[in-house]
Amino acid sequence: MTLPIRLDHVEHEYGGTEESSTVRALSNVELSIGAGDFVILMGPSGSGKSTLLNLIGAVDRPTSGRILIGETDIAKLSEDELTLFRRTSVGFIFQFFNLVPTLTVRENVGFPLSLAGTRRKELAERTGEVLDGIGLQHRASHYPNQLSGGEMQRVAIGRAIIHRPSILLADEPTGNLDSRTGETVLELIRSVHQSYGPTIVMATHSERAASYGDYVRQVVDGRVIDEGRPL
Amino acid sequence: MKTLRAFFALCLGLVFRPILREKTRTTLTILGIAVGVSVLVAIQLSNTSALRAFSESVDAVAGRANFILVSDAGMLEESSLTALQPLWPLGVRFAPVLDLEGVVEKSQRPIRVLAVDLFSDLHFRDYRYASIATAQSGERTTGLETLAMDGNQPSVASFLELFRRDSIVLPSTYADENGLEVGNGIVLEVLGRRQKFVIRGLLRAEGPATAFDGSLAIMDIATAQAAFGLHGRLSRVDLMVPDNAVERTRSLTTEAIEGAVLERPSRRNERVGRMLRAFRINLFALAGVALLVGIFLVYNTVLISILRRRADVGVLKTLGASPRQIFAAFVMEGAVFGLAGSLLGIAFGYGLAYGTLELIGRTINALYVSTAPSEIVLTPIVVIMAILLGTGVSVLSAVQPALEAASIRPNALIRAGIYQGASTRGVLRLAVAALVLFVLGALATRVPAIGGLPIAGYAAVILIVAGAAAIAPLSILQLSRLARPLFGRLFQLPGTLAAVSLPASLRRVAVAAAALSVAIAMMVAVSVMVGSFRETVRAWVDQTVRSDLWIRPAQQLGPSPGAVFPASISDELRKIEEIEMFDRIRMREVVFRDSLIAVGGGDFAQAAQTASMPMVRPRSQARAIQAAIQREGVLISESLSLKFDLDVDDSIELPVQGGTQQFPITGIYRDYSSDRGVVVMDRSSFIKAYNDDTIDTIAIFLRDGVDPSAARTKIELTLGAKYRVFAFTNATIRAEVMRIFDQTFLITWALLVVSIVVAVLGIVNTLAALIIERRREIALLKVLGMSRRQIRGMILLECSLLGTVSTLLGLACGVVLSWILIFVINRQSFGWTIEFAPPAGLVAVSLAMTFLATVTAGLYPARMAGRLVMSTAMKSE
Repeated sequence: MTLPIRLDHVEHEYGGTEESSTVRALSNVELSIGAGDFVILMGPSGSGKSTLLNLIGAVDRPTSGRILIGETDIAKLSEDELTLFRRTSVGFIFQFFNLVPTLTVRENVGFPLSLAGTRRKELAERTGEVLDGIGLQHRASHYPNQLSGGEMQRVAIGRAIIHRPSILLADEPTGNLDSRTGETVLELIRSVHQSYGPTIVMATHSERAASYGDYVRQVVDGRVIDEGRPL
Repeated sequence: MKTLRAFFALCLGLVFRPILREKTRTTLTILGIAVGVSVLVAIQLSNTSALRAFSESVDAVAGRANFILVSDAGMLEESSLTALQPLWPLGVRFAPVLDLEGVVEKSQRPIRVLAVDLFSDLHFRDYRYASIATAQSGERTTGLETLAMDGNQPSVASFLELFRRDSIVLPSTYADENGLEVGNGIVLEVLGRRQKFVIRGLLRAEGPATAFDGSLAIMDIATAQAAFGLHGRLSRVDLMVPDNAVERTRSLTTEAIEGAVLERPSRRNERVGRMLRAFRINLFALAGVALLVGIFLVYNTVLISILRRRADVGVLKTLGASPRQIFAAFVMEGAVFGLAGSLLGIAFGYGLAYGTLELIGRTINALYVSTAPSEIVLTPIVVIMAILLGTGVSVLSAVQPALEAASIRPNALIRAGIYQGASTRGVLRLAVAALVLFVLGALATRVPAIGGLPIAGYAAVILIVAGAAAIAPLSILQLSRLARPLFGRLFQLPGTLAAVSLPASLRRVAVAAAALSVAIAMMVAVSVMVGSFRETVRAWVDQTVRSDLWIRPAQQLGPSPGAVFPASISDELRKIEEIEMFDRIRMREVVFRDSLIAVGGGDFAQAAQTASMPMVRPRSQARAIQAAIQREGVLISESLSLKFDLDVDDSIELPVQGGTQQFPITGIYRDYSSDRGVVVMDRSSFIKAYNDDTIDTIAIFLRDGVDPSAARTKIELTLGAKYRVFAFTNATIRAEVMRIFDQTFLITWALLVVSIVVAVLGIVNTLAALIIERRREIALLKVLGMSRRQIRGMILLECSLLGTVSTLLGLACGVVLSWILIFVINRQSFGWTIEFAPPAGLVAVSLAMTFLATVTAGLYPARMAGRLVMSTAMKSE
């Protein structure tokens, strides 16, 4: 199942208790993403793209405003509900891969299912399928530090999709890769989108990467300023 | 100056600010050092204070005497004063002294009786009278008036009052405390004789009146000799010898007075100090364990600092900071922790000393000498020692990680996500080093005592402990590998992650595990040693305490030298029909080869039938006792045999009344009542040797069918009034011996608990640091859907794994250390053979509690991990 995303008057501030020491990362953000859309967030460094992804992914809570995933305002969920939401409904792909260094490729990929307490047989089957899909079956027993950058990102994608989340969030997924490897990774993300149609939000600087999305939203100084630019 | 300023600037960013910012880590580390230092300070202060009162009393009583003439056997003949007469023209002055221990009737409080020639003694000691009785003509015994002396000496007329045959002088402090005043009567019991005295003088609390905490009675020597049956006997002669007459005095006393020894008054303090040396050093060494564990804590803290600030170090090196500066900065961090911990430790230790003094004082009183602990005095030497020790070990433990930081290339330090596990080669190299250390440790156990101290034994302990620390990384790797499938199955993903994360942070967790292992090892070792010792003593008491009743002239079972029965009590005992037989025992202290030992006399013919001595050589007790009766020989304790290298068929030259005498050794037996060494001989030989037929303990065997309690009551009723008899049943004696034993080792347990506390602090510190180090990884796990509970569970599982490794390693190492404690250190220090009898239950409970403490230590870091803010942590790298 894919879900629409809607942000209503969302504000987010970082920092201390004193007004002078806080930094406003997002300011009155209004954003609407349709179910199954592949949307690109573009903008300069520090504009608030990652913060926006964190809020959608329930990694952080907004200072004010509503974040509706389907009909649910996740800003109002409890810690446990947020954990469950992240575990079941969201997949993350990071610029620096963020694999667990002490786990093998197979264990990293199967991580979300392990967390959900999936039976061992089913876990093995589904991990095997995903490893086939990302072309890393032969690397299943390797550790992250034995992989290349491209391979690490493919493992990260495998981990992000194994539980078929309704939302896939990617933060500069090609930012740490050479252009050729980056292209392969973007193809993989596109194929995921085509295979079961999750709502994908991808933050990037790259025009080339942006071309893989359905449309672009510009983020500047904590505001989403460009409402829709179809690609 | 410029270099110094640059170094300060470097330290500011790299050391000082992080120390202030990372409050938890800083507090835990300083606390760890402080606890270690405080224990050492407390033991040192209480060790000193426990005996200070004793030595101060000896000094106060010695007055201006620079030499004393004593007999190693105990008493001098009064005729020795005549022998000293030729020294008078040389300016030598001398004063006879009877120095006796007694008890005050009713209160049963011990009192020291100093009997002197009140005329000649004025040259030696300053008696400042607060008040003195004056005689009223015709009413010499009842009509007393008191003269306030205002610090002046009394007039001749009133002074003569002090020479009356029942006069006694007390310190005014003692009189005040006990509600006494001039003219009151006081009954003293000395050497089995009870005598009533009248207080005819009170001394101001100065000079000799301050000795023995004021529990002192002064009387004329003739009065004391008459009252206590010591005609013609002296405890010693105090001498003031001019420098140019020392040699002449020495030669004359050696030639003219048989059995007399001329020595400095301080010699007695030195002997007592030496007697207690092994006890005090072992206590100090045990206290050192806490500091040793503290060293691991500093090592770990500095290592963690380097790992956490590796990028900063890299940047600073890139900007031109020299390896030497980096090294010095991290050593400075160790010094800062050490100094702060030492200062705090001194303050803690000062407070703690009051508790430890109580425990140490009780043990010294029960086993060695009777002394009241004096005030705790924090001397500059102790302060300097504590600072040097605490700061020194902190700096030393910071050296290795600081060297590491200084030698790594800048790019390796800047690179993010550097792997902090140890290489397999490094782990194996450490394991080989551990093997070498174990072998060296084993070799050190073969080395005999040096100067009566088990120096090589201590070295063996340090080598084994170092070996255990070196093998910790390999143990963690292996156990984590084994635990991974099991944890995965039992606890799913958090279990797997816990099992894999320890090897990933091996360098840090290995140090924490090593510290905890050392503390656990010492706990196991001491538990096994004390448990085995206790079991040995229990078996020994069962074997040796066989009589139905014991009667003593004092309420307590411990040493009470002033309280004895006269020989005449034997006749009275024979009249009691319930008694089948009895064994009379008299022990006294003598000086043998400049050491204080105990010499005792017992009814050997009786003992041959009733006693059951645990014999070392020959196996047959009857053979040893028969030979002693026939050859006027002696049996010696195992500790004496080991200390002075004496064996059966050797002879031992003991000081006796009026000289020395050779006694053939016919047997060696085990005795756990004292480590100073004991010689026992037949009562007839004893009386002949020491001209002393008094008795301090009588073992009574009742006829069959007699109820011990009824017999006890009858004996107390029959003899109580005349002899002040206290009867103890067999069960009371056994219980009392075990009570003294347990009391002796109470401080040992306290010290061990402190070590465990320091080690657990280390675990909290390490895990908290690991959480901070791994915050990005933990945040990622949360982002991926791990709940707070799962994160907390993971950390607690890591902690339990760490606890398991430490417990297993500590247990293995502890068993080895217990063997060294029992068969090397204890044997070389005290000369005791202890049967190896590990108290399995006690060890199991201790290990379980330590393990629980370790897991509990993980609660705080686990909470920290659970509360981590994901977005901040993910950004932080």
